[in-house]
Amino acid sequence: MEVNGQLALTVLMGIFLIAVAAWLARVEDWRSYTPLAGGGAVGSTEQYVSEEKPSGVIRWLTTVDHKDIGILYGAYGLIAFAVGGLMVVVMRLELADPASTLISNTFYNSLLTSHGITMLFLFGTPIIAAFSNYFIPLLIGADDMAFPRINAIAFWLLPPAALLIWAGFFPIPDVIPAQTAWTMYTPLSAGAGSGNQMNAGVDLMLLGLHLSGVSATMGAINFIATIFTERNEKVTWANLDIFSWTILTQSGLILFAFPLLGSAILMLLLDRNFGTMFFAVDGGAILWQHLFWFFGHPEVYILVLPPMGIVSLVLPRFAGRRLFGFKFVVYSTLAIGVLSFGVWAHHMFATGIDPRLRASFMAVSLAIAIPSAVKTFNWITTMWNGKIRLTTPMLFCIGFVSNFIIGGVTGVFLASIPVDLVLHDTYYVVGHFHYIVMGAIAFAGFAGIYYWFPLYTGRMYQVTLGKWHFWLSMVGTNLTFFVMVLLGYGGMPRRYATYLPQFATLHQIATVGALILLAGQIIFVWNFVQSWLEGPKVEDGDPWDLADDDLLTSEWHWFDRKLQTAVADGGEEEAELATDGGERIDDSQSSSDVSSDGGEPVDETDVASDE
Amino acid sequence: MDEAPGLSDQYRTASPWPVFVALGIPISELGLLFDLFPLAVGGLLLFTGSVAGMLRESGYVKSTMWSLAVLAGILFVFGGVLAFTDVNLVTRGYAVIVAGVLLLVGGVVFELFVRDQRQAI
Repeated sequence: MEVNGQLALTVLMGIFLIAVAAWLARVEDWRSYTPLAGGGAVGSTEQYVSEEKPSGVIRWLTTVDHKDIGILYGAYGLIAFAVGGLMVVVMRLELADPASTLISNTFYNSLLTSHGITMLFLFGTPIIAAFSNYFIPLLIGADDMAFPRINAIAFWLLPPAALLIWAGFFPIPDVIPAQTAWTMYTPLSAGAGSGNQMNAGVDLMLLGLHLSGVSATMGAINFIATIFTERNEKVTWANLDIFSWTILTQSGLILFAFPLLGSAILMLLLDRNFGTMFFAVDGGAILWQHLFWFFGHPEVYILVLPPMGIVSLVLPRFAGRRLFGFKFVVYSTLAIGVLSFGVWAHHMFATGIDPRLRASFMAVSLAIAIPSAVKTFNWITTMWNGKIRLTTPMLFCIGFVSNFIIGGVTGVFLASIPVDLVLHDTYYVVGHFHYIVMGAIAFAGFAGIYYWFPLYTGRMYQVTLGKWHFWLSMVGTNLTFFVMVLLGYGGMPRRYATYLPQFATLHQIATVGALILLAGQIIFVWNFVQSWLEGPKVEDGDPWDLADDDLLTSEWHWFDRKLQTAVADGGEEEAELATDGGERIDDSQSSSDVSSDGGEPVDETDVASDE
Repeated sequence: MDEAPGLSDQYRTASPWPVFVALGIPISELGLLFDLFPLAVGGLLLFTGSVAGMLRESGYVKSTMWSLAVLAGILFVFGGVLAFTDVNLVTRGYAVIVAGVLLLVGGVVFELFVRDQRQAI
């Protein structure tokens, strides 16, 4: 039986490799000899000879164009967002009543683990990579990324990573989903004890996580090289845009954090499969926590800095003025980047580590609130007396700032040791970080998706549905996660599928909030897909009328050139200038209010540094 | 025409290799972790072969055979460490070495037959 299994595997692997070789040979022939053979080769005709990309599915499989890869990342991230979101809907439904009624406790634990890992590694990091891949080369005037093929490899590592992370849910015999939570604390994750976490499902999840880390590291190296070496000569460090600054800082953090996660995961795999004792005898269970959080806390900033960059870029466009204190927003980004490596043990205040160490980590954790507050005040001041246009991307930016304040302030309390010892491992922590990851990071992602929608689709989304999406998301987020803060004050512990009846009302409110969020996201998916396919075409290279306030950035110049050089096909519907609803308010105001809005241009130095 | 021009010859923004590099890594990892000989060998071949192809396509190396030989050398060292030292993961080590041998053979075959054929055309 064993031999038959190996034999079957060998045959399958052989067939697969031959198929790959055959396919590659076809592509080779096709590419090399078509020009000479005049279209005689497989699947190709002369018309492709001068084109940049093959057609059909092959285009997407072989593309090394940063814009295509950005779209692939975006599609991947949104699919992962849907999967992770549906997982948590099942969990919230289970939590609608105190007992374990809908799903088993172990399945709840599996969903809990996968929801966290999916949202952080398969949605958060990729959706940021979607924006950075598409826009960094456009913003800095580069032809493409520094290493286009590595860029493609980094993306294509992600689908196998997702399959491995979710493998436990697939009907594979003897494989169960991991139930370690996303922090994978030892000794549970090392398979010790009489539990079921020695299962291969945990190994598969660890391998998938390792792959996603390799992918992120490759991407980070690529962005650092691109921003350093591929800038247009007109783009200097002095006038580099804010989004590129945040991506550069984020890439630096990835470069130091993710290889460490990869090493720690390999050590854990060795402990599980090859009899090493890294987390049993040599370093003990606490070693894992140190290694994990040395990665894990910078990971928070890896996820939040680029969204802050998106907000810093988009928010001023609809406030009618340049970003207030541009330089200080850049400095605070760099400060957060450096400080983020000195705060990891604030996740471990309750583990009994040396109190003097604890105090130093408390000090740094409180200190990191300062650059975060610098950014917040700069966003608020940018809007102050500005010519606000409440378009959908702007609404999401303002929502970001609002939620970030609540998420940030709750975090400051957690950084304080005495408060943390009371609130540790309660729903307060869950509420706090969900305000950041959902309320802030995802909101900034939506702001970016709506803001650049005309650019990457050539069409405009449906304005009313965009507004519905925002308000349902805003209400749902605050309902769900503020209730969690209250649950935490009441002493409700995290990660449980069941709870005492006294928490029922608040849990039910949180479930209602989650369902409101779900309704909002369904509207988003409908709007996104339908508008991409059928939305009114954008004919203007400046759909947000940014030129009026001299706020046009280089990616819109690129878009304008693209529109002007596009071949007119003549067969489309009438040319309709599509704009978001927020525009109209501006139109009525702009003529009368221009001289009195108080948000008039700032001094020359600021003008130079924001472009 | 170039000896083995890239896909980029015609399509400047396309390459067939990255997707197979990315597939080769998880397949070989699975094979090595769970001691599945065919997966380990196949995954390593897919990974190293695609790396060699990509190096050639992007012009970092001139000869496909030599890059394959260097990659095979790395596999021999890695496999040797696994199989013949205190690490003592014998079957996994052999899998890596077999992948190296196949890679080397593949390189020689490519050099002797395929490349000449291409030049002839």
